Amino acid sequence: MATDEPSTRFDSVDWEEIGGGRELTTNFIGVAVSVGALFVLVLYDVFVVPGDTPTFAAVGWGYDVTGLDWLFALSLVLFGFYGVLPLYQNARMTRYYWREFRRNRPAVASLAFLTAVFVIGLLGPLFIPSPTVDLFAKYQPPVGFEVARTYVINCAGPVVNGACQGTWQYPLGTTQNGRDIFRMIVYGMQVTMKLAFVATLIVIVIGTAVGTVSAYMGGMVDEVLMRYVDIQQSFPTLILYLLVVYTYGGSLLLLVLLFGLFSWEGTARYVRSNALAKTEEEYIKAVQLSGASVYRVIRRHIIPNTTSSIVTDLTLLIPGFLLAEAQLAFLGLGDSTVPSWGQLIAAGRSDLSFAPWITLMPGFVLFFTILAFNFLGDALLDAINPEAQAEAES
Amino acid sequence: MSSPVETLNPLYNSEAGAGTLIEYALDPGYTWRPGSEYFPLAYDMTTDNGEVWVANVREGLQYGGDYGEVTAEDFVYQITQLHQSEWAGTVDAASWPSEVNVEATGDYEFQIELPNPNALYPETFDPYVYPIPMELMQPYVGNQDAQGLQQDTEILELQFTGNLGAYTLDQWNRSSGLSYSRNDDYYLKNAEGVPEVFTQAPYFDSLEVQVVQEEQSRLGALESGETDSAAVPPNRVSRFRNLESTDVYVIPQPYNEVCVYNMRDNGWTTGPGNLFRNKQFRQGLGCAVDKQRLVTGVFRDFADVEYTWQPRWSNWYPQNADVMQFGTGELYGSEATRSRIREAISDTDYSYNGETLQNPSGQPVELSLYHSAGQNTERSMAEFIAQEFGRNAGINVSVEAIDGAQFSQNYWQQQVPENTDQYEWSNGSYNAGPREVTSANAWDMTVVFGLNTYPLNPTTASVFFQRDSSYNPYGYYPSWNASELFERASNATNDQELQSVFAEIFRNIAEDQPMAMLAFPADTVGYAAGIEGPQENFFSGWDFPAWYRNE
Amino acid sequence: MGLGWYITRRVAWAFVVTFVIVSITWGLLAASPDPQVSQAATQAALQGGNPAEAQERARELRGLDAPLYQRYIDYVTGVYTLDWGWSQTRNQPVTEAILDALYYTIQYSIPWTVLVVLLGPLVGLYSSANQYSWKDHAATGFAFFGYAIPNFFFGIILLLIFGVQLGWIPVIYNTDVPVFSVANAIQLAMPVFVLVTGSIGAVMRVSRNESSEFMQADFVKTAKAKGVSQLRIYGRHVLRPTMVPLSTTIVGYLLFLFVGSSLLVEVVFSIPGLGRLLYRAIIAQDTSVVLGTTLFFTFVATVGNLIQDLVYTVLDPRINFDDR
Repeated sequence: MATDEPSTRFDSVDWEEIGGGRELTTNFIGVAVSVGALFVLVLYDVFVVPGDTPTFAAVGWGYDVTGLDWLFALSLVLFGFYGVLPLYQNARMTRYYWREFRRNRPAVASLAFLTAVFVIGLLGPLFIPSPTVDLFAKYQPPVGFEVARTYVINCAGPVVNGACQGTWQYPLGTTQNGRDIFRMIVYGMQVTMKLAFVATLIVIVIGTAVGTVSAYMGGMVDEVLMRYVDIQQSFPTLILYLLVVYTYGGSLLLLVLLFGLFSWEGTARYVRSNALAKTEEEYIKAVQLSGASVYRVIRRHIIPNTTSSIVTDLTLLIPGFLLAEAQLAFLGLGDSTVPSWGQLIAAGRSDLSFAPWITLMPGFVLFFTILAFNFLGDALLDAINPEAQAEAES
Repeated sequence: MSSPVETLNPLYNSEAGAGTLIEYALDPGYTWRPGSEYFPLAYDMTTDNGEVWVANVREGLQYGGDYGEVTAEDFVYQITQLHQSEWAGTVDAASWPSEVNVEATGDYEFQIELPNPNALYPETFDPYVYPIPMELMQPYVGNQDAQGLQQDTEILELQFTGNLGAYTLDQWNRSSGLSYSRNDDYYLKNAEGVPEVFTQAPYFDSLEVQVVQEEQSRLGALESGETDSAAVPPNRVSRFRNLESTDVYVIPQPYNEVCVYNMRDNGWTTGPGNLFRNKQFRQGLGCAVDKQRLVTGVFRDFADVEYTWQPRWSNWYPQNADVMQFGTGELYGSEATRSRIREAISDTDYSYNGETLQNPSGQPVELSLYHSAGQNTERSMAEFIAQEFGRNAGINVSVEAIDGAQFSQNYWQQQVPENTDQYEWSNGSYNAGPREVTSANAWDMTVVFGLNTYPLNPTTASVFFQRDSSYNPYGYYPSWNASELFERASNATNDQELQSVFAEIFRNIAEDQPMAMLAFPADTVGYAAGIEGPQENFFSGWDFPAWYRNE
Repeated sequence: MGLGWYITRRVAWAFVVTFVIVSITWGLLAASPDPQVSQAATQAALQGGNPAEAQERARELRGLDAPLYQRYIDYVTGVYTLDWGWSQTRNQPVTEAILDALYYTIQYSIPWTVLVVLLGPLVGLYSSANQYSWKDHAATGFAFFGYAIPNFFFGIILLLIFGVQLGWIPVIYNTDVPVFSVANAIQLAMPVFVLVTGSIGAVMRVSRNESSEFMQADFVKTAKAKGVSQLRIYGRHVLRPTMVPLSTTIVGYLLFLFVGSSLLVEVVFSIPGLGRLLYRAIIAQDTSVVLGTTLFFTFVATVGNLIQDLVYTVLDPRINFDDR
């Protein structure tokens, strides 16, 4: 029984590490170096490279890195050091998690799917040319499907019984402007990743900070922070999004910032209420009595012990961002210059009855992505909450 | 309908869609029947010399309630006290400048005296007025209460219409739609000189107009028979034609599809100088877009290619004149485009670097092109233009979606300067001054608006081509003598003279390329099979009260 | 300083929040230009008048010439005296517009909320009681499906299948049918189904995860050992503590959905409710309607949060109010 082996208990790892003292860990140095390097590159982009020139023109890469890309890179670095690297460092724990995790097949499939989306989204656009308009190749069906000849102008595949058949030239078909849907989905993956990573980073940072500080400090600090959270929570965010996006135009960066800055209140509240319950518990009291600093208590005890709440909440939030983007796109207010899945879904909806693939293909990809996040979150929760797990099997 | 109407107040409505809804319940002064023939409704208009127009109000027109009979006095009061007033700000105000003299000459007769003769006066739609009882307007005129007039429930919900419309408005649910019921007393039933079919009119017991935002739902309802009429997008026409339960009518209309270049100071955001101001450059761009491919690819051939400011079916289209056909044949292609642009930029620091047009600092020229968010055909058109510009002119175009109202307010309309006297002209927000007066946000090109070509009387289109007219958001300064030619057209006394002036005007417009004139899309409207009435011409709907269902 | 005082303070606070949010929205809108004013300028120019003067007149007419604080005070007074202004794009009083729209929104949101609040925690609890059984997997699968499928996307597809292809439900929402009629139930079934599917998943999951934590708690084991009935264990020892963390998310979550989903579902199913009213108003820049609907949504959200906090305190006896 897992509960009988203290060494695999989640919080016991913390206890071992506590002995490590306060000297700089390799993780911290790694983060500092990477973030520093990133910062230098940003400075280079802002001050050295002239306005319209691609950032890496010097090394022959004709891509102008945007502000959002830098934020994306930052969140990737932090994700690497705080999400992936610890798993490597605590190999024993990782193996344990993995054993637990592996039993949940949907979660493994989800992880594989998300990894694929991540890798293809990151690298795909480097190899696959961007989709172009070809009005005379509109409404080509995906492989294995067909569409009435009257809808298409030129049929790329064979015409059988007055119906145009799909070909491998357009594996997932084309839109009403003749863009290749497969390529659009690949390009959309990157947009999705940016949205998910950057907004989540903002949410984690602000939400966790506010939540734990509030719970631990109590008093006026708690009062002020929670009253602010109240206001933010009561604010109908979609109205805010609509108002802001309508007035200032919905660039992707603006969307990401909006999502990040106005979605952390749930995380904060959740973290706080869990932490509040935890502070009542004996071991925190014991730590406090033994003279640990406030920062230390928060960093070493409250945050690790509320991870399950944070993860649960985030697996709800990330899909929420993707949905919000798709919703805004559906209402015609998203960033039309970005090939996001939401834009594609919205574009195809009026052709749904005869060219359903335009909406369905990205719709299903979005659906599976959100589904994967959910399964993954669920499995992670089970894996880091071994008590519940162990008993359920007994 | 795809979006709700704002107002049904005939005095303050400026939207064509809402106009149709008003006219289900309230007939205006007159309409046009096929063959550009004047068809009198509330009044008939005649003239001897084009300077004094006499309007004869039909007898037996009754308002509802206690407002009694419609008289000439009602119209004169409306025109002089509202449209010509300082305070009311009605939408027809522009049609009734103070130089126009209107007076009642009898119970059922009033006359309109114009400052200059105009043989095509009714065709301008200037004297197009709805009957509204004088008693209803009086209290607001006394207090100069424009807001009260706009918000008056009786006017707003058309409760005074009596026998003046084929149907009576029962309910106006602001977001979901309107319901009308049959008006048994409709005056045209007993009128003389109207087609036989009107004697039984109207034929439908009730009329429901519903607001459905989703195109998919509108078409679904048409297919399943829940509704009898809905607009059908070009890509779906053949499908609905093949259905047994529906017919699709291709109805030509006067609005064109244009790609407008911003020649004001906040246009051409890609470098110094505004190349759009150069006629040769515009001609080069005119050669960049294959109009026939556009018409086929985007509109599925339910549109005509446009070369100048008049549709082919108009009486005034210059059939024999030598109109330049940009975007077709020799006037299309990469070489045709580049040679003209090269000439246009020869005295600037712009240059071609291989395939790409570069600005003086060596960066590729990049322009923005705005289209309305959610409009599929418009987006296809914008993306096609972007691609053609890239391919044939070496100009990068980024296509951006924007809400129409938002675009109109922050891009299309200029900010009216505080001190209008310091500019040569300032004519309201659509032409608040010369090119240095600009809108709040910079923009390069747009396909958001289609403009009216006024096929009944093309002189009305003169506002689009004059520096200081009331409508010049794009800052166009004609290189031909537009004002003089349009002046000659309005003073022409016979058809032949008109024909030759218009031919001259349309030749000039085609050559000067004030904007990229692309296509005349037709309305493709689906009706349930068995509905008799719709016609495939510009005048379809003139006899709507006489439409019926053929069971 | 017990529960009573706490509740009083929370209610007072709810008013403050509503007030602050409406002020912020008012500020956002006051910063953007008024379309009616530039229209006046154009009209004046067309009549040969002076556009700048006309603009000034229009501002005066609409009370926009007053200093900002004066306009703000006027607005706030208006809010409390229920004079919410006149809608420029609908030509009716704002209160009337909101009441009209609310009539339709309520018709689907009440069945939706009731279903979610009742079914969500129960199914979640059931899942955790039968963790990793096929029933749990089915419930989880359903929850995930509902949560993952974008509700506007789902709505369109259902409408396509059941409305257009099969003809079982009307494609266009009919406002004329009586509220309590079969026809209304049929046309509202799809929107409610879409909304419930979309929102129940999260509630189920949170309650499943939370209650599974309590399933193994010592007090549950003790209760089991003492021979307390299964039903009582779930009801009293698991469901109740589960509701504590759940209540912190459920209300906020539902309210978030209320604004978002109601808007999209209303657009998809062409229901002339509040969400669409707001969306149209934003697009048409009908300031008074935007403010009115925002005020309404905020009010609902604040009251919801209030209830949530009260539930929280009642359910979790560990929280004490004396020191916070």
